[in-house]
Parts: sequence; C-alpha cells; structure tokens
Amino acid sequence: MRDLAVAELDDETLRARADALGLALRVDELRGIADRLGRAPSLVELYAFDAQWSEHCSYKSSRALLSQLPTKGADVVLGPAEDAGILHLGEHEGERYGIVIAHESHNHPSQVVPFEGAATGIGGIVRDVLCMGAEVVAVADPLRFGNVDPARPHQRAVARGVVDGIAAYGNAIGVPNLAGDCYFDPEFDDNVLVNVVALGLVKESQIIHSRVPKHGADFVLLLVGKATDASGFGGASFSSVALDAREAESNKGAVQVPDPFLKNVIMRASYRVFSMLREREIEVGFKDLGAGGIMGCSAELCSTGGFGAELDLDTVNVAVDHLLPEVIAVGETQERLLWALPEETVDEVERIYNEEFSLPQVAQNARAVRVGRATAAQRYRLRHRGELVMDVPIDFLTGTVRDTLPAQPPDPPRAERAHDLSCARMLDDLLHATLAHRDVCSRAPLYRHYDAVVRGRTVIPRGEADAGVLAPIRGSRLAFALSVDGNPRIGRIDPQRAAEHAVYESVRNVVAVGAEPIGLTDCLNYGSPRDARQFGELVAGVDGLARSARALGLAFVSGNVSLYNAASDGHAIPASPIVACLGRLTDVSQCVTLALKEVGSRLYLVGETQRALGGSVLAALLSLHDEGVPGIDFERVLAEHRFLLAAARAGLLRSAHDISDGGLLVTLAEMSFGCYPAHRAPIGIELDGIAGWSNVGRYESLFGEWGGIVVEVAERDVDRFEELAGALESVREIGTTIPQPILAFDEEAWDIDDLHRSWSRPLEELYP
Amino acid sequence: MTARVAVLVFPGTNSEEETRDLLLDCGADARIVHWSEAASLAYYDAFVLPGGFAYEDRIRAGAIAAHDAMLDVVIEAAQAGKLVMGICNGAQILLEAGLVPGSGEIRRPTAAFTHNAQGHFICERVLLRRTVAAERCAIAAALPEDALIPAWAAHGQGRLAASTAHLEDIERGGHVVFRYADARGATDAHLAPQGSALGAAALTNREGNVLAIMPHPERDAWNFNHLDRREGADVLAPSGGSVLFGSFVTALERW
Repeated sequence: MRDLAVAELDDETLRARADALGLALRVDELRGIADRLGRAPSLVELYAFDAQWSEHCSYKSSRALLSQLPTKGADVVLGPAEDAGILHLGEHEGERYGIVIAHESHNHPSQVVPFEGAATGIGGIVRDVLCMGAEVVAVADPLRFGNVDPARPHQRAVARGVVDGIAAYGNAIGVPNLAGDCYFDPEFDDNVLVNVVALGLVKESQIIHSRVPKHGADFVLLLVGKATDASGFGGASFSSVALDAREAESNKGAVQVPDPFLKNVIMRASYRVFSMLREREIEVGFKDLGAGGIMGCSAELCSTGGFGAELDLDTVNVAVDHLLPEVIAVGETQERLLWALPEETVDEVERIYNEEFSLPQVAQNARAVRVGRATAAQRYRLRHRGELVMDVPIDFLTGTVRDTLPAQPPDPPRAERAHDLSCARMLDDLLHATLAHRDVCSRAPLYRHYDAVVRGRTVIPRGEADAGVLAPIRGSRLAFALSVDGNPRIGRIDPQRAAEHAVYESVRNVVAVGAEPIGLTDCLNYGSPRDARQFGELVAGVDGLARSARALGLAFVSGNVSLYNAASDGHAIPASPIVACLGRLTDVSQCVTLALKEVGSRLYLVGETQRALGGSVLAALLSLHDEGVPGIDFERVLAEHRFLLAAARAGLLRSAHDISDGGLLVTLAEMSFGCYPAHRAPIGIELDGIAGWSNVGRYESLFGEWGGIVVEVAERDVDRFEELAGALESVREIGTTIPQPILAFDEEAWDIDDLHRSWSRPLEELYP
Repeated sequence: MTARVAVLVFPGTNSEEETRDLLLDCGADARIVHWSEAASLAYYDAFVLPGGFAYEDRIRAGAIAAHDAMLDVVIEAAQAGKLVMGICNGAQILLEAGLVPGSGEIRRPTAAFTHNAQGHFICERVLLRRTVAAERCAIAAALPEDALIPAWAAHGQGRLAASTAHLEDIERGGHVVFRYADARGATDAHLAPQGSALGAAALTNREGNVLAIMPHPERDAWNFNHLDRREGADVLAPSGGSVLFGSFVTALERW
C-alpha cells in the first residue's frame, strides 16, 4: 500500500513531500493523523483527510463565529445542519409545505474556468436541494465581476463565460432563474464571486435527511449518476487556498465537468424514486456528492446517522480504467448522489434509474450502483483491488476541527458629515451618469440569457419587481419571494455595516413585493483567515449579520463560507457578505410589481433620508472618500415593513420599489421604465420640493442610499393608506404620477425615453 | 369519449408539467408519456411535444429526437390527420422530422429553427398575432380574430432559416400561422427578437393539423403568471396564452 512515512520525516521534508502530493494539510495536521492512526497513513487516507479537514468542508476557522447567528424561529423547519435549510411556506389541502433553500459559492472554479465553474455551481446547489426530497423550483445568482472595460479582455471573458455557464446549465435542467444581482469592481479582477442559491418545494412530512436513519445498520449505499472520472480531484482543497495566476492553469484539473443533460434525467428519476418511497413509507438517507467525493459524502451520510461505513471502490462505475483509488475516493466528478437504502428497496431504485430512466444510455456508463454499506462498527473503510486502503475511526475523519485565529477589528466607521454636500456638477449630468453606472443600469442584457419562466410558475420574473415571485404549488395561491443582496461598495469601507445592509436590503426587497420575510441564508465571501485584518472583516461581518437578523426577528437556515478570496499579491476582495431573503405570500394575487400603474396616483416615501453617502454610487462618481455609511434604525424599519405588508394585503399598493444603488431618482425612473416590458406608454412623475419630505440636502436626498421604499397609492385609496400609516412618521408624500412621459423636479423635466436610453444600454456591449 | 392527449417526454425535455397542466385546465384529458413508455402511444388521439433540450440539442435542436421511436408514432398520426402541436423544442423536433412545413420527405427537413441571430439563448416576453385565415390551421382556428397572444420567447435556436425558395413556399403556402407583433398588432420581421425569417413564430403543415410554435404561450397562461393581472380576476384561472390551448382543445372536440 502506498503511504507516507510521516513519523520518519523532519518538518521540512514532510512539507515538501506533502506539497509534491498536492496536499494542503499542515505539518501539525499530518503528524496528528499519523499519531492517531499509530502508523504511516496511506495516500488514500491523506487525500481523504485533506478534503475533510479543508476549510471548505470543515469550516475550521469560521465555525465558532457562525454559532453567533440566530437559527431558530417559528418558520424554521430545518436549520443549518444538513445540505440545505427548510422554511415553512404554508398549508394547502391539509398538507404543510416547506421551501428548501441552499446557498453556495463557486468562486475559485469560476475564476479559472468560467463556463464550467459557474455551471457546476448550479449543478451542485441543485443536488443540495434535491437530496432533501424536494422538487427543485428556482435558482438565483449573485455575481461580482472585475473591471470589464473594453481594454480588459480577460475580465470580460470571465464575466461572459460565467453568465453563459449559468444559462447553459440552469436552462437545460429546466429550473427558472428567479433572482440575482451583479456588481463590477476592479477589486474582483483576479477573484470573481459566483454565488448561487437554489430553492425546492417539499411536503414537510416527506423530508429526506442527509443521514442513515436510526435503524439503518447494514443499509446499502447506492451511488447514482455520472461515471467517476479524474475530474475535480482536489476540489475541496483548491477552493480553500488563494488563487495564484501561475497556478491557475494547473488548477484546471480541480474543476469539475458539468452535464446538465444527465442532471435533468437524474432529477426526474429521483422524483420518481421519492414517490415510490413515500408510497411504501420507507425512511432512507440521501445526500449530494460535493466536496470530498464518494468518501466525503458516504462518511458524512453514515457518521451523522451514528454509523461507520465500508465501501468497495472496485464497484464504482468509472469512465476510464486504472483510476488511482484516491481519485475514485475523493475526486469530485459532477452529477452524483448517494442513497442509503434498506436492502428490499435497492432493486426497485436501481430499476428506476437504470431502466425506466435509462441512465446508462443517457451518458456513458452513468448508472445507479451498490458501492457499500453502513456499518455498526465506527470505522470508515475503503477497499480497492482486495486491499484495505483506508481504515480510520469515522468520528476522527468527520469530527470537528477548529483553528483559533487572531482577528484585527476593522477601522472604526467614519462619522456622518455635519453639513450638506455642495457639488458643482449639474443635476442632469449626475442623473444620467448614475443611471448609466455599471452598478445601476439595466441587467436585462445579462439575465435575458437565463430562462426565468420554465415550469410556468414564475409570477414575477427578474426586472419587474424588487424580488422574484413564484407560486410553486398547482392549484394553490401560496407563493414565495426571493431576493439576494450585498453591496461591495459598502463592504470595502465598513465590513460590519455591509453585513447589516445586506440583510436590510434583501428583506426590504421581499417586503417591496408584498411578501412577509420568513428566513435568510448567507454566503460569506472574504479574504484569508490567516491575515488578521482580513479575518477581522469576517468577524465584523458575522456580527453585523447576527445583529440585524435578530433585530428583524429572522433566522439563518443555511449558508456557506468562502475564504481565501484574494489575488496572488494577497490583496483581498471587498468584504462580501451576500444574503438571500425568502418571503411568503399567502395569496399570490397580493404581490406588487415596480411598474407605475396609473396617472394621478400619489407617491409616498416610506423611510428616512440621511446625510451619509458612504458606499453610494454618487460617492463613487464624485470620488468622495471620507463618507460614513448610512446607519439602520431596525426598530423603525420593522414598523415600516409591518405597515407596508398590511397595506399590500389591503390592496393599497399599486406599485413599489426600494431605494438602493443610485438612490431615489433612480428608483423613480425605474418605476416609470416598468412600462416598457409591459408594452405600455410611460407614466411620468412630478416630484415635490425636497423641503416637504427631507431634512438633508438635495444630493443626499436624491442620490443617497439610505434605504426605504417608494410606493404608488391610487387617489381613491389615499385616505385608507394614511389611516393605516397612523402615527408612523417615516411615511411622507413625495410626488404624483402624471400623464406626460417626464420625470419633473424643480426646474428639471427629464424625458423618460432619454433616461431609459442611458439606463438600458451600458451592459449591451458586454452582453450583446 | 374525450380525446386523449399525450405530452411527450424525451431525455432532456423540461416543460412537460406546465404543458400538461394547461391542457388539463383547458379541458383536455392529457397525460405525460415518458420515452420508456413509447409502446403506449398508440392509444392517444393527439400529441403535444413540449419544450426542453431533447437529447441535449446534439447536432441541432430537435435533430436526434426526430429519429426517436416516439416520433414514428407521431409521424404516422400526423399523416393520418391527428392533431400534433410542438412548442419550442417540440417545434424544432417537428421541423427536423419534416412534418412542418411538410414540403419535403419525412426526416429530410426543408427548414429549421436554428441559432438566434445574437448567438445565445434569450428569454423575453413577446406578443403573437395569427396571420392566416382561421381555417388554415385547425389548432389555431378557434382563436378570436386579431387576438394578441402573450408568450415567452425562451430559446437559443428560434430563428427560422431555410433556402430562399423554401421560404417563398412557406410564405406563399400560408404556413406562417403566427408572427411576432407589437402592442398594436402590427407584424414586421424586425419584431422577431432572434431574427426569425419572415418574422415567423409558428408554422403549420399543408393540411393544417400540425403546429410548430417557438414561443411558449403556456408560460403566460394563468392570471397568476399573466403580465396584466386584472384586479378581482381568479388568480388561478387560465388567461393570456391559454387561448391557444383552448383552441387546440376545441379542435380536438371537433376532430
């Protein structure tokens, strides 16, 4: 058996040997493994520990932090323990329905091979949701790209390749792309962020867990999917180290190869298996193969259930002969899942995959195949060619590993300016420049690559409101809303407030469509935990998430940490906590879109203007460097949201749109632009003088990014709306809708078509 | 007895459920039939081929599925005058099978829905208007005159392409059942978002019993997913693009 004589080597030689083997394990970790085993670890064992103890699998530097996040609540069906969390959607015909939600990153693979990296990001997250026994109903993509100016061909190719990969995979499997956001910033030049969220629908009585059930000793482990090949070897470790341009080429082997065509069939076959198991009322385990491949998945599936496992690698369906045992064991070939099934169901499940859905004909040697069993013995054992190539205590392999690392707190936040901004630039020039800014302009050239409406259950596709809305159950008015948010312009200057704003914005967007926020997920994209300053940003970010979620009464049910997001010079990305908020609509007919609906309506601002311009597009355009980031009064926000949801339920909101990138004028212009996809003539807006609705200056009021929501209320509903607002002070009338297709303010009257031209075109040259 | 409609699923199909659901809501007896159940197809009176990426769009969208054993049954049925409708990938398959426009031999296509002018997948709202007489195509016959049908173009290969001579035949033979239209109902080739020849969104065969339609009317087909949700309307009731499915069911009843 090939092994590494750890005990006989000095530290320097051991490091060199480990490097030559491509192992990211530290010298002390290598010695710890050899000590515990009492012998030289085999190569298979070393690669197994390398994957299991990577940051990606073990969360070794972030686990302690994450325990601060609130994870319980009335709507939480399953918190962050398995491949995905579950939130309660509602009841229909006596059944309780849950929405399964998972949130991941595929940052490093997407930087190295954009198309495949982004596509396998979708592929992986879809399996996380599928393996909970759910039907996959939506995906979403928060993206952060570098500077994509025409003179930056590499950054442009990455930004295009990622979108093409997401489209190619998501469209083919037939899951609508419901939400997403996108920012462009030179600090992502060497390390883009490609996060992905997937949602599934499940009856709460029919959830399948990612563990061998209690009575599951001797359960058969049935591997399903693509034939194992040499792709994706070292994937977990690869995503846990900083990218180096010179190594990017050699890292390509660590990226997996997507096959959405096979996945489409595996999903449908799995749905058939779900219904067969439900009819027979059989409890089973089901888990996605992600990081650590067959080894990682089988070890976690069995150890979580309290069992050991024994697998024979010779039984695995492979694409090529003579694969090394460590490649079969920990390689991350895509499109595979693992069942833990009682013996009496195995033949039927194999028949469904292999015959009814003919997996072997759909892709070369794809199939369902028995690979091993759960065992009462608490060992994790792998055999290959008759030899025991791995035999370790299973709790040692899958147990908690923790690194305690020093953190340096970020600089204290900057204070708010004492005086209003004075500015020499013309309002007209600023508005057009803001609308055309890459963080503000229309994302339609990008998202029109994605199928937003396959399955026919999309109620509000991207671009027509602040959150995507989907009614997942045939014959039911229940619907959910989804928004994903995180502003890197804030992340760069104030890591804690960046996290608070990510929560606030995602929740605000869900409220703006009339949905009640019911839960959150997060993906924490940061630099190296071994750099005290960068680790300090993560600490501040988690603190911000925890504080804001508690203030709004929401829990995080799923999440992911992506560290080592930095260029080879060690320069980290802006702190990028990205948050997804799921909302609930008990009656889909009450959802609200952003397009203005009628002339003669009143427009109200629900929110408070602030003077701080930190992180705003205006600050970027004017190169303002010493601005503080707007604070969030969560108590007031909560009251505003309660009021808005009551108004939506009463049918008083004709349209609604939140204030975010670019500020209030952009919000108003976009409400007017809402006519275009609906093939209608524009409705104009007359904005009242600032003195009537703001205590801060002209620029802060019109371009500040202090949050809040603008709503349209029909003339006939004004009395009811104001009565409902009651004593809430932060509800102020700011203007009216008018028949002329203009946005009028003070002496200015902008033509809506002109504004639309500035806003709709900038991304067309990148995504023609 | 109600006519039975089979909604066909090839490996890679992805729009079977909503297509079946809308047929059911429009009063048809519709069932999903999976490729491993091809033997049961003989029992059906009409066939709907839904959207997706059958056989991964290998060679060209629809090209492999046109040679699938399920198509043997569909071709025979079409030639016997049964109703056949293909949507998106289903439309591509019907063209690759040579059923539409039907000017050549079976499985020797004379026209194709191929790569969009912009070279990538597009997903956007479109409006369709029937541009032939009601009796020209049985499936679209019961539509209200001048109706504008909302639908979603969601395809990477939706551009009608054929030789000049074949395009002339298609135009002259009245094969273009639907064209892309603007809100006033005007049709013009430039309104086709992917550059489809003749501004064509849907074609029929010579006999008018087969319809190949590229955009998806079933994705804007109930009040809940209809762009112009009307206040007070039953949010779960069919609307918008369902009129085409309604017309299909009417034709089935007459058939």
